[in-house]
Amino acid sequence: MALTGMRGLSVFISDVRNCQNKEQERLRVDKELGNIRTRFKNEKALTHYEKKKYVWKMLYIYMLGYDVDFGHMEAVSLISAPKYPEKQVGYIVTSCLLTENHEFLRMAINTVRNDIIGRNETFQCLALTMVGNIGGKEFSESLATDVQKLLLSSSCRPLVRKKAALCLLRLYRKNPDVINIDGWYDRMSQLLDERDLGVLTSVMSLFVALVSNNVEAYWNCLPKCVKILERLGRNQDVPQEYTYYGIPSPWIQVKTMRALQYFPTIEDPNTRRALFEVLQHILMGTDVVKNVNKNNAAHAILFEALALVVHLDAEKEMMSQCVALLGKFIAVREPNIRYLGLENMTRLLLVSDAQDIIKRHQAQIIISLKDPDISIRRRALDLLYGMCDVTNAKDIVEELLQYLNTADLAMREELALKAAILAEKFAPDLSWYSYQFLHQFHIICSDIFQM
Amino acid sequence: MIRFILLQNRQGKTRLAKYYIPLEDSEKHKVEYEVHRLVVNRDPKHTNFVEFRTHKVIYRRYAGLFFSMCVDITDNELAYLECIHLFVEILDHFFSNVCELDLVFNFHKVYLILDEFILAGEIQETSKRAIIERMGELEKQE
Repeated sequence: MALTGMRGLSVFISDVRNCQNKEQERLRVDKELGNIRTRFKNEKALTHYEKKKYVWKMLYIYMLGYDVDFGHMEAVSLISAPKYPEKQVGYIVTSCLLTENHEFLRMAINTVRNDIIGRNETFQCLALTMVGNIGGKEFSESLATDVQKLLLSSSCRPLVRKKAALCLLRLYRKNPDVINIDGWYDRMSQLLDERDLGVLTSVMSLFVALVSNNVEAYWNCLPKCVKILERLGRNQDVPQEYTYYGIPSPWIQVKTMRALQYFPTIEDPNTRRALFEVLQHILMGTDVVKNVNKNNAAHAILFEALALVVHLDAEKEMMSQCVALLGKFIAVREPNIRYLGLENMTRLLLVSDAQDIIKRHQAQIIISLKDPDISIRRRALDLLYGMCDVTNAKDIVEELLQYLNTADLAMREELALKAAILAEKFAPDLSWYSYQFLHQFHIICSDIFQM
Repeated sequence: MIRFILLQNRQGKTRLAKYYIPLEDSEKHKVEYEVHRLVVNRDPKHTNFVEFRTHKVIYRRYAGLFFSMCVDITDNELAYLECIHLFVEILDHFFSNVCELDLVFNFHKVYLILDEFILAGEIQETSKRAIIERMGELEKQE
């Protein structure tokens, strides 16, 4: 697929690729940079179209790893270009080359603002995108109000509103004061009624950020979140384009459940019941399927649901279901699921009752301690450490110390440390402690510290 | 949130780099080098998630290209793994059976597509149809 109207760029890319070695490449690139520098110096004579070509070349050269600082000004200046093809380049290349602290960026604020409040939808999108990706505190102060207006405007297409939502999220992250909580109490609730799932995807990310800093203001949003989960869980009114391998927007489901984890409790019994029904359906209804992507998406939802169940401090029966599921997961072949099973079991330990039921899976967890994948070994170690108590301390510490003999370098230090802490904490009697700690542990440790 | 997205080939050449956190050029180069080293040596039988500094990198290999996303330590791993896959499907659709060369010669289009998919380090749109349609709209304006 050829680049339209930019033959010069294609030729340049081909030239670079045909270079036999790094030296040749450097020569070719330097030649081009020299040419571009010269042309830029004579700026008055450069049309926007020509500037565009050189700025794209600059980005390509930057991606190769070379320095193109001299061209930052030109990239930013294209943002003021009157026509879309050139303006687009200005916005995109600026986003790649500059960061929020850059002086030149500040100089563009007025132009950017004009694009945001102007009538050209394409220019609005370009501006919202750049500000959303690299906007800093100053952009936040100048533009937040205008961006909010676009998000809440019913005359804006979903295309603009979803960009406005995430742009506002960025501005909020840079300066939380731009969102006046009093005004947003109702607005956020209305935004969650959004029918367009693209906009809802973006809005939900905004919501997670807002609620994570201030639950009090958003209690009225809680039932809305549950309704969204119900709708998606039942695949009601979900356009085909938003189902992923048959699953209604897994990403909205995951984000919504994440948002719910910021609410300390669910007071209303009806809402609570409805949510538990949804969660129960997920826990019981997620099968392992052959298609890797569908499996991952379904399990992404399942693991988030597990986290939510644990957070809500559900009834014992549901907790047992969770542990049973996790017990299954830590023994499957799929390494991703094994890893997440171990990680989530560790999280479950924070809940008082779960420890006993988790201990039933001790044998499998010890097997995971020796897994070929270091990521999994680390999770297994964390879990063993966390589930250790007077009843199983002897077994676990012995197991850890035995493994220490053959463990790889990356694991040894942590293994030794954790074993020592557990031995000291749970020593059943002094003779056991002194044998384990003094005899085995010191010998092994001196091995380590000699390295 | 997504802190950065990298597309690198086996030799470590960067085919796409998008950062949603401010980093100086020297820091970017360091990151790209470290992430490449991290993912290129991982056994395909191991997990697609690996700790990176105080965050984690979710990655997957497609032919000769490594797609990596650095996310917060608390983010949902599988959701981002499938986010990567969705991105690949979009590219595949747009370029009709995408290959590395398409991404090299059309790098500017890849940035455009990415900007319709992810914004401010968050997923913006998950409908392939909506994104491809939008790209069509933009092409008409060129």
